[in-house]
Amino acid sequence: MPKLLFVIGLTTLLAFSACGGGNDPFKEDGGGASAGAAAPALTATVKGKITFEGTPPEMKKIVTSSDPGCKNSDLANEAIIVSDGGLENVIVYVSKGLEGKKFPKPTEQKVLDQKGCHYVPHALTLQTGQELKIVNSDETTHNIHAWAEVNSPFNESQSSKGVETIKTFDKEEVLLPVRCDVHNWMNAFIGVFTNPSNAVSGKGGAYEFKIPAGEYEITAEHEKLGKQTQMVTVAENGSADLNFTFKAAN
Amino acid sequence: MSRNVRVAGSLHEGGENVGLHRFALFTACSTAFLIFVGGLVTSNQAGLSVPDWPTSYGWNMFTFPYSKWVGGIRYEHVHRLVASFVGFLTVVTASWTWLTERRRWLRNLSLIALMAVITQGILGGMTVKYLLPTSISMTHACLAQTFFCMTIAMAFFTSPSWKRGLPLVEDRSEGLRLPVICALTTGAVYVQLLLGAWMRHTQSGLAIPDFPLAFGRIVPEFRDYHVAIHFSHRLGAVLVTATIAWTAIRIWRKHRRDQLLLRPAIIMTGLLAMQLTLGAFTIWTEKSPVIASAHVATGALILGTSFLLTLRAFTMVQREVAWR
Repeated sequence: MPKLLFVIGLTTLLAFSACGGGNDPFKEDGGGASAGAAAPALTATVKGKITFEGTPPEMKKIVTSSDPGCKNSDLANEAIIVSDGGLENVIVYVSKGLEGKKFPKPTEQKVLDQKGCHYVPHALTLQTGQELKIVNSDETTHNIHAWAEVNSPFNESQSSKGVETIKTFDKEEVLLPVRCDVHNWMNAFIGVFTNPSNAVSGKGGAYEFKIPAGEYEITAEHEKLGKQTQMVTVAENGSADLNFTFKAAN
Repeated sequence: MSRNVRVAGSLHEGGENVGLHRFALFTACSTAFLIFVGGLVTSNQAGLSVPDWPTSYGWNMFTFPYSKWVGGIRYEHVHRLVASFVGFLTVVTASWTWLTERRRWLRNLSLIALMAVITQGILGGMTVKYLLPTSISMTHACLAQTFFCMTIAMAFFTSPSWKRGLPLVEDRSEGLRLPVICALTTGAVYVQLLLGAWMRHTQSGLAIPDFPLAFGRIVPEFRDYHVAIHFSHRLGAVLVTATIAWTAIRIWRKHRRDQLLLRPAIIMTGLLAMQLTLGAFTIWTEKSPVIASAHVATGALILGTSFLLTLRAFTMVQREVAWR
């Protein structure tokens, strides 16, 4: 009797072991822009400021002692960077209005550097098919782990200084996190778009990008503070100011 | 009053094998440590810090230079080494059992444990190769707990006390009720560990950032699935607390003179208190890696204690039930 009960119990435990988890049920399908008419000229400009309202959280210092190769004592959490009242690293892009428009693939490479055990820049945008050069400028090992959900994820190591890796993404995806599993504080965010009309807010929260004339829905998205959308209309050779305000999280 | 001593079914199937028992016990303890080390990997988000498997940055795992054990690599690589060590211990346990044990079912159990640890190693490799898919990571976490129970079973069934025959419970009025309660508790703890693994591997550990309330309420607003998974783990904690309390109270009331039941019941209650505290501090420290890993390991210890209690309870009432 005890043997039988024991075997039944063990079988139940094994059955539970095998049941595992499923895929993320809330995962959104991305999808890229379909081919359409020839690329419209980028004659108009959208620019503005991303304002941060409230008291910015303290940029907690990061302890890098787990790796002697990380000699950056000034490293701090980069999730929320506020300068001159403006929020940096917000990706601003066209969320509606450019569907079906086809734009040429840029020949210019973008660079994601691992320098001082953090990513430079912290946020960047790419066009589908555009090359991303990932560089290790540190005297230590990094791995580049792209947590893509729409594109193919990858996890590759760069074990010495000067190593470069070229990557491209073929589908639109925002935000695509990139992390280093060796140094768990290192993260960067990429926005991949089928068009070039997007930018990342810099010092003082300022951003600017070129766009064809027309009416658009513009989205500003931040890794921690979520996203906001606004409509904008820009005329041929015109310029539109579009400001966003993000509030400190409770 | 003299106590009835039951002759366990295995007594006539060979003498005591103290060496094998101690070795099996050591394997069980090493497995508990391995679960803690595995918890450190997840808590430090280091699961993919070594992007290749079974090699480590192209090196043979056992010759990977110490100078390269930096950052998250340290946790992942140590996990691989400790796992290899436990795998080796399991091979030895299985071989030893097959060479010295006449109980076929025990030999088969040692073989099942060996297959489980091999499967576990392959699952670990698959988490690396396939970039931590939730299903494989969760299966890896759950099989770890199952394997831990197997090592405990091996240690229990090879113990001299089991071979000599455990004493029967003093209060024989309940029949199989106590073992069934213990089994239910073990099941509840196992499901709770499964929920914990689901929470960890879907990055839902801080989906509810406050404790004991949830977003300032008793029942949170379910903003997304992370909140739902996290909250299910909290509900699971309530259920586990209730079942452990139920088991411990019953043992205290009916079997407090049965030291082999009372001791694990007291230990399990103590571990539960520690576990609830660690769970709270996991939130309050925003998932401090050491605290979160200790929470994982204590969960395994509760499961192990409850499983041992279940084995003992079944063994100690069995003959009494047969008499009735």
